[in-house]
Amino acid sequence: MSKPQKPAPLPPGTVVGGYQIIRKLAAGGFGVVYLAEDSERRLVALKEYLPSSLAERAPGELIPRVKPDKQPLYRLGLKSFFEEGRSLAQISHPSVVSVLNFFRENETVYMVMNYLQGDTLQDFIVTARDLKRDKVFRESTIRSLFDEILRGLRIVHQHKMLHLDIKPANIFITNDNKAVMLDFGAAREVLSKEGNFIRPMYTPGFAAPEMYRRDGSLGPWTDIYAIGACIYACMQGYPPNDAPQRIEKDRLGLSLSRLRNVYSDNLIEVTEWCMSLDPLARPQSVFALQKELSRETERRYTKLSFSERLKLQLENIKSGAKA
Amino acid sequence: MRFSVYQISRRGGREKNEDRMGYCYTRDSGLFALADGMGGHPEGEVASQMSLQMLAAQFQAEARTQLKDPKRFLNEGILAGHHQLLRYAVEHALLDTPRTTVVACVLQGREAWWAHCGDSRLYLVRGNRLIARTRDHSYSELQETLNGIVPLGDKVNRNVLFTCLGSPGKPVIDLVGPVQMQPGDRVMLCSDGLWGVVDDETITRELAAAPLGESVPELVELALRTAGDKSDNVTVIAVEWEAAEDEDTLAGIETAALGDDVFESTIQASGPGLDEELLDDDEIERSIREINEAIRRTAQKRG
Repeated sequence: MSKPQKPAPLPPGTVVGGYQIIRKLAAGGFGVVYLAEDSERRLVALKEYLPSSLAERAPGELIPRVKPDKQPLYRLGLKSFFEEGRSLAQISHPSVVSVLNFFRENETVYMVMNYLQGDTLQDFIVTARDLKRDKVFRESTIRSLFDEILRGLRIVHQHKMLHLDIKPANIFITNDNKAVMLDFGAAREVLSKEGNFIRPMYTPGFAAPEMYRRDGSLGPWTDIYAIGACIYACMQGYPPNDAPQRIEKDRLGLSLSRLRNVYSDNLIEVTEWCMSLDPLARPQSVFALQKELSRETERRYTKLSFSERLKLQLENIKSGAKA
Repeated sequence: MRFSVYQISRRGGREKNEDRMGYCYTRDSGLFALADGMGGHPEGEVASQMSLQMLAAQFQAEARTQLKDPKRFLNEGILAGHHQLLRYAVEHALLDTPRTTVVACVLQGREAWWAHCGDSRLYLVRGNRLIARTRDHSYSELQETLNGIVPLGDKVNRNVLFTCLGSPGKPVIDLVGPVQMQPGDRVMLCSDGLWGVVDDETITRELAAAPLGESVPELVELALRTAGDKSDNVTVIAVEWEAAEDEDTLAGIETAALGDDVFESTIQASGPGLDEELLDDDEIERSIREINEAIRRTAQKRG
């Protein structure tokens, strides 16, 4: 069996819908994002619907080929791609990537978005982590960063839309220091179709337990779990254990206790609250979380007790911990 | 609203299970439905699935958080499934349309409404009495209903249905309701795989005797045993309304705490079979136009 070939991206210089492609920026399961410029030489990000598991395209060709048996799924994915465009088009918020245009060409569709210059939160975490200080980010940085993100997320939820794949790699920090949420991958939902059920794809560590269940009821609380996991990653430098692992044996409290006295009790508690395994035990709305996160009281730090330190050390020996 | 629900579907001796069942609910309204895709016509399982999907999708759209008019909803939701089947047959160039029966029940407030087309049935049991049951759209039940006043003659195959979803004529839909519900009332929807071999008295007795979690599987087992190797698909979905809270044999569902936007469903609202035809070239062009209009409007607001 040969490995399935990914569809080839459009080569630099190709013009689609009046935009000239400069280079490929990223490729995911849903398609390809290019850096391109419009007729007035302004830079844009151009997202091409090209699900890698359903479409084929030989290098140098423009039009993707979809085998007949994959047509229904391809069309279903297209519908989700439209949903994403439709929702983003209604949202105008500095923390949410904005859509500039939407068009059809090469028998597929394209979404034109603002091109942002900067790096993802993931890049920042990795860089900061490698400095090996006791803090990955300062607490004030974390609080203001997530305050900004939550403002955007609140608008998203107001438009009856869930992000469902919030993770540091999808949070962009622009060069002028603004946090912007990327990749509203409603289009991904279809691509993990299994039997008759369609589930969103998920990123381990950031996906709430209900994302793993067929009957899981998804809601704002699902995105809030991911926000909690992102805050965790900003403090710890690593993503948390994934939900199935946590259901088996939950070490979240333990690993958060390593951060006591480094970050305030309140921030640690908020993280734990967001990441409750029971969806009902989490903040039920972004607003509830914002309120808690922006509560400016004096920060309390609780040192670990002797027995707690001992327990942690034992745990470190047992697991050959990285911390 | 509080209810407990139990559903089960067994293939029996058939090659495929063409029965489908499911339920969905918001804080203030619940929909329970069952469909039996018909043999002798193509893709029975597509037909039953599609009719439930249409109902569920329409329920999700209209139940905010109550249905304004449950009777109208049932009628239109069932008809929408019928039209969907006709479209499906045309677009897939089928020589014959997939067909299905359907029975659906809405519980809302303290009242119930139900509707059916074909010979999938609804039973309402209060205490140990059968309060109501739907009349099949078959010639034999029709004759019983007419009490022999109108003779049908001997040549009519009594088990043949005179209506269903997907047939060329407009389906006959019987609508009932509102019916006042009392705590502990049991509503059971089933395919002919059950009632064909288990009589009404037994069904009533079993439903009255034990919690749904015991009586429903018991009834289904009885049907399968009685029919033996040739058993039809047997499918049952049963609801106990305002189930006693201490009943721990079943996961009861309490909807009072649900938010305005919550919609729960065991029926997958969309599938490739459904969406494929919703998204033709015109639809794609229209979607793109709409998105660009939204972009323009948002840009104007931004100023």
